[in-house]
Amino acid sequence: MSQTAAFEVRSLYRSLLRQSSQFAAYNFREYAKRRTRDAFREHSTESDARRIQELMQKGIKELQVLKRQTVVSQFFQLDRLVVEGGREGKQRGNSNDIVRQKEPGWD
Amino acid sequence: MFRAAILRAARTASQSAVRAQRPAFQRITQTPFLQSRISTPATSISAIRCYASSSGLGQDEVTGRIMDLLKNFDKVQDQSKLSASSHFTNDLGLDSLDTVEVVMAIEEEFSIEIPDKEADAIHSVSQAVDYIMAQPDAH
Repeated sequence: MSQTAAFEVRSLYRSLLRQSSQFAAYNFREYAKRRTRDAFREHSTESDARRIQELMQKGIKELQVLKRQTVVSQFFQLDRLVVEGGREGKQRGNSNDIVRQKEPGWD
Repeated sequence: MFRAAILRAARTASQSAVRAQRPAFQRITQTPFLQSRISTPATSISAIRCYASSSGLGQDEVTGRIMDLLKNFDKVQDQSKLSASSHFTNDLGLDSLDTVEVVMAIEEEFSIEIPDKEADAIHSVSQAVDYIMAQPDAH
């Protein structure tokens, strides 16, 4: 694979992971990250330039979907799940902070 | 002449004011509550850190945090080769996709965003440390 193509693939991988972590819902977020990793791993041995181009196009399409869906996802924020850990309900300025959450274990 | 008279009057007035103040100040400092109230402004002024000043990340701290991060990264094959100078691919056995993930984890750790071009140039722990040290807003 040529240098520029490899750079583009890494760049797409980075953007996909970055965009995935913008999902408000834990399940969507983790799925998108896992799916991105698995898809890139699955085709990591691909050597045919044409096939790589096809996969890149597919990745770019998926990135557009992710961009749209993460925005939609942020309109429908749910409480943070217990598996996400930490004392919830405080805005710490991180991404995916949720405003409203009861302390787990009470009432 | 009139001005000189005013100055002289002001000087004597301030001197007498200081003289009058001193015993009062000493009396005040005897009580611990008031003493603390008086002495705090001086100490707090010396401790003020301007918002514009850098966070002061030390090289050792940056290296330590990056090494901790790599220690917890499950794809690192040989933990014994992990050092401040190890190369991601040659020493730690990570491929290019893993390197992207490591660099993204470093971004998250120091709450910065590394642009694509620069992120692509980071291939070793020392390069990452150098990059973070050059960033004023890393913390």
